Amino acid sequence: MSDDPRPTRRVALKVLGASLGAGAFARALAPLQQIEKYTSPAEFLQKHYRELSRDELHAVLRRLEGETKNRYGREVTIRDIRPTEGVQFAYALNLSVCIGCRRCVEACHVENNHDRASHQSYIRVLEMEQGSLDMERGRTDYDHAVPAPGHFYMPVQCQQCQNPPCTKVCPVEATWQEADGIVVVDYNWCIGCRYCEAACPYHARRFNWRAPEIPADEINPQQSYLSNRIRPQGVVEKCTFCLHRTREGRLPACLEACPTGARVFGNVADPDSEIRWVLEHKRIFVLKEELGTMPRFFYFFDV
Amino acid sequence: MRRALIFVMFALASLGCDGPARYADPTRTFADAGARDGETFPVTLHVPRSTTAIEGTVLDPHGEPVEVRCVTCHAVLQPPPALPVSAQSIGGPHAGLRFEHGDNACASCHNPAHFDRLRLATGESIAMTDAFRLCGQCHGPQRRDWEHGAHGGMNGHWDLHRGPRVRNHCIDCHDPHAPRFPRFMPMPPPRDVAHGAPHGAPHGASHE
Amino acid sequence: MGDRNGAAGHRLTYPGFLLRVLDRATDGTWRFYTWMFVLTAIALVGMNAWAQQVARGMALTGMSDHVSWGLYIANFTFAVGLAAGGVMMVIPAYLFHDRDMHDVVIVGELLAIAAIVMALGFVVVDLGRPDRAWHLVPGIGKFHWPISMLTWDVVVLNGYFALNLHVVGYLIYTRYLGRRPDPRWYLPFVFVSIVWAFSIHTVTAFLYAGLGGRPFWNNALLAPRFLASAFVTGPAFIVLTLQLVQRFTRFRVPAGAIDLLVSILRIASLVNLFMLAAELFTDFYTGGHHAAAARYLWFGLHGHRELVPWIWSALALNVGAAVVFLTPALRAHRAVLNGALVATFAGVWIEKGMGLIIPGFIPSTLHELVPYTPTLAEWKVTAGVWALGLMVFTVALKVALQAMTGEMRAPDAPPLDEAEEAPSHEGSSHAEVR
Repeated sequence: MSDDPRPTRRVALKVLGASLGAGAFARALAPLQQIEKYTSPAEFLQKHYRELSRDELHAVLRRLEGETKNRYGREVTIRDIRPTEGVQFAYALNLSVCIGCRRCVEACHVENNHDRASHQSYIRVLEMEQGSLDMERGRTDYDHAVPAPGHFYMPVQCQQCQNPPCTKVCPVEATWQEADGIVVVDYNWCIGCRYCEAACPYHARRFNWRAPEIPADEINPQQSYLSNRIRPQGVVEKCTFCLHRTREGRLPACLEACPTGARVFGNVADPDSEIRWVLEHKRIFVLKEELGTMPRFFYFFDV
Repeated sequence: MRRALIFVMFALASLGCDGPARYADPTRTFADAGARDGETFPVTLHVPRSTTAIEGTVLDPHGEPVEVRCVTCHAVLQPPPALPVSAQSIGGPHAGLRFEHGDNACASCHNPAHFDRLRLATGESIAMTDAFRLCGQCHGPQRRDWEHGAHGGMNGHWDLHRGPRVRNHCIDCHDPHAPRFPRFMPMPPPRDVAHGAPHGAPHGASHE
Repeated sequence: MGDRNGAAGHRLTYPGFLLRVLDRATDGTWRFYTWMFVLTAIALVGMNAWAQQVARGMALTGMSDHVSWGLYIANFTFAVGLAAGGVMMVIPAYLFHDRDMHDVVIVGELLAIAAIVMALGFVVVDLGRPDRAWHLVPGIGKFHWPISMLTWDVVVLNGYFALNLHVVGYLIYTRYLGRRPDPRWYLPFVFVSIVWAFSIHTVTAFLYAGLGGRPFWNNALLAPRFLASAFVTGPAFIVLTLQLVQRFTRFRVPAGAIDLLVSILRIASLVNLFMLAAELFTDFYTGGHHAAAARYLWFGLHGHRELVPWIWSALALNVGAAVVFLTPALRAHRAVLNGALVATFAGVWIEKGMGLIIPGFIPSTLHELVPYTPTLAEWKVTAGVWALGLMVFTVALKVALQAMTGEMRAPDAPPLDEAEEAPSHEGSSHAEVR
């Protein structure tokens, strides 16, 4: 600087440049002002679900109901439903009778308040070639009368693994396995890195690429914090075996929608349960057993 | 008895709008729920409406065909010496009946002495609503699976301590005369799959 | 000299030093201002695109639930490699006491800093909820360490950033004061940073290699291959930088440094190609499902060939560059050598960027084939992060070299000769004083 004959002018020019730069910077980041649409100071500071006290959780639920009312124009009830002791959920699906009608896909879409625009659902149905369990030969985009000759159908949703690869990778513990075996996501804690989506071997996780769009009259108002409440933008979600239903003893929406009765659900810890009978009497298998994920979702064929 | 009836009503109510056209009165408690203790809610069985009637050719003021009960004709008509053995040989109101159920003849299931009842292979006469017993004569594995909740759809509760369940009857899904499950169009395919087209076409429209 | 300053002394001199750094960092020729203006403009365009992405959702990107990571994570991986590659100057300089390399080692450390800034930048722009980044802060948030490999990556990247920032900052500060750096204050950190450099790229490889559901990544060769390619891109970038430094600054770059880096490149590029061959053999000789992603990448699958031209270009660039590095007659021409350096940099960028990340998702875990093409918004954001990294690198390099040449000195610093003549073992430079 000592060799600069006009130091003051130079400094003045630098200050001018810095101000212009700062102005341009503020301008470039202006779209961030819109984020108040989906976040608030209370949301920003909210603690992890498992660290909320009863009162705090209560306040959070009321706040979320209010937000839903403001953004979606619908009165909803958001509850916190905990696992029942002695209950271990399991699901089985009979590939001999599934006809690939996607009624379960649709029921999931409606029950879980999925984004209407992308027609999101936690279930994908693979149309498989008879005589092969090779998923590479399957396809999900079939659009013809079902069941098509020479094919069978394999719906895939979250397998609620007992050794879930997805919860392991989460850097902030926003997803974990509950006592009844359901893997859940705290949608208000997830940072949206999508590492779990990369880790899941079953394509069970979905990311909210945008804030979900649902007309007010189509919203399912019976909601729970860890399952079907309307998810925020930019977070990961997944199938929870409809825990807002199943933790109250009801059957999952996908099962009730199944016109062929291909789906069997229940408490595998109960020796008299239907699911237990299937596991004990049918030749069952799990998807990608070699990965050691130990799914709670089983497939079987009659015969 | 009174309590069971209340449970049945409850089951009906919980069904709500789940397809009133397809299901009618669940009239009876599921036979195999007996193993459960008295404190559990019952499992009830759906029975479709028209088990003892057929649709006639006359339309009611709403344009719906008027149902004609079996006994309306068969009580007064002289029973034939033998029931027809194939769909082709049926005439009258039953002409054109689609019959695709193995080598069965009418009398394999229908009771020629009581046209609103069925007849088991043993000769025992049973009500139409007990058809599962008849079906189970040949379809043993299906009946076994059904009894264990592994065949046939259901609604309601997996936990009978917390609520009732309604089970589908065989004939809810299978037309006894053509029992193969019909082929029909599935719900639309997922929109993000793009074997060719870029993903998310529906949401592509509203941004950028 | 010694302890002329106590802690109190530093409290007085350090703010002056920072002011001086700010002054030097914002001072330059028209060439410097133009370069910085262009980078600032690109960075601002990128920031604007990112702000829109945050506000309107990541649907603005080309990613989907099938290909849930894309251009950002591809560049993240590459940037981590670049950061680790700088260590290929540190090892000869400090472990083998290579005099020439020692003079320019700071360039490698600065590259590490800038590349880490980029790597962290690419992670941030990939987050769906950057407002919740505080959930990652240990103590305040919920840091899932040591189970999640991503938390390891956060630790090693920030650790590497801090280590290099300390070493470089200390060296520049002592140069500024005209004192000899005290080895106790930086040598241990240098040695830690050597091990650490390997760790950042190993951990980043484990991030992918640990996913059993993605056969393309679930591969023990991934980490070694990451390192091999990092030792290609790091030195390639540095050799190019050193030539620019020679041309545009008063800093004199010893010829021996460039020769040594080219020797390293020769080995690293061959090792990288060998590992590629090993991978290709395993995939294609065995065949079957595990090769589906490799088939998609190299030959296309079910009519989808999005990456095929890219990966073959990458192979051609890398092989061509290796031939130049291995042929004395060719690499003797500076222009040819520089062409090869640019080629292999681009080749590795394709190969371990998009060429590594995208086939991890195609075909998907349910063997669906949903292609991915980055959107304009993604390219803008990516260019913005690169511009930010280059800005950091330019400014840091400028300040560091001015400290090394003695252009930036404390008012009361002793004459340069004194420091220069001291029988220093570490941290001295052959700066040419004008």
